[in-house]
Amino acid sequence: MHFSEDDLREALKRKDPGPDFTQRVLARVEQAKTKGKPAQSAKKNNGFFAWWQLRPAWTVAVTAVLLLGFGWGGYQYAEYRHQKQEAIMAERHEKELQEAERARDQAILALQIARSKLNHVLQQTQVPAVESDKIRRQRL
Amino acid sequence: MNRTGRWIVQIFMAVVLCCSAARSYGQGARLQLANLDKLSDKAARVTDVTLDGSLLELAVKIIELDNDPEAAQLKDIIRSLKGIYVKSFEFDNASQYSPADVEAIRSQLTSPRWSKIVQSVDKRSHEHDEVYILKEGERVGGVVVLVAEARELTVVNIVGDVPLEKVMALENHFVPDGRHDSKHKPNKERNHDEE
Repeated sequence: MHFSEDDLREALKRKDPGPDFTQRVLARVEQAKTKGKPAQSAKKNNGFFAWWQLRPAWTVAVTAVLLLGFGWGGYQYAEYRHQKQEAIMAERHEKELQEAERARDQAILALQIARSKLNHVLQQTQVPAVESDKIRRQRL
Repeated sequence: MNRTGRWIVQIFMAVVLCCSAARSYGQGARLQLANLDKLSDKAARVTDVTLDGSLLELAVKIIELDNDPEAAQLKDIIRSLKGIYVKSFEFDNASQYSPADVEAIRSQLTSPRWSKIVQSVDKRSHEHDEVYILKEGERVGGVVVLVAEARELTVVNIVGDVPLEKVMALENHFVPDGRHDSKHKPNKERNHDEE
């Protein structure tokens, strides 16, 4: 493309920007300021992540500490639950044992009373206790 | 009510009667002794034992754990039982219980399945002792020992195939050392064996 001297003169000659030129310039400046703010914060975030990227050893260490902490806490909680469950089981077993012992004692007492009263009744009727079985068989 | 309706009612009543009869047959050996509970306040010494099948099974298990060879006879006796119920009241004074209290027990033994095998009446000491057994075919389904003395009333109700000869031959040393659930008051226990 070839431009003549007249064309260049025409293109570069002074032009009047208009009466509201200053206002338009100021408006554009304001607009640029408002658009520039989020761009600045994104830059900040990039900086934060960049810090972690720059310190991988720290990142690994902190992650490891957190994992160990959670693991130890979980183990302690599981151990606590297990001990608590064992204590409940032991208590239940002890209770059952006591109940069984009580039942045994009661059974012995009851049978002892039964024996005592049966012997007494047979003595009252002048029947020797050793013959009671025979009596029972005869009656049956 | 039409004919079909009457049939339904009759069948329903027959089923209800059968169920109640079966229930009473099943519980036949166990007596209702709750009417004697009122005597607890008057008695100087009360012995109340209520052991059903599950508790007797527990008792057998603990006896087995003891590994006491002498307890074998006790285990044999308890194993064949379904329940043991004892109510014994000893009074400081005579006439603390009424004849109606005894009659309430005796009335439960009027069924033909119950047989009175021993009866002893001593009018001088106001003593009336009875032994009943419940027959279930060739086997014994239960035993009741009723001892009514002036200052004592004892009812022993054993449910199950009671080996009486084994019970009577039970050793003395099996008596628990005061660990039973009885209400003690300062009164020396009378033991008929010592008389």
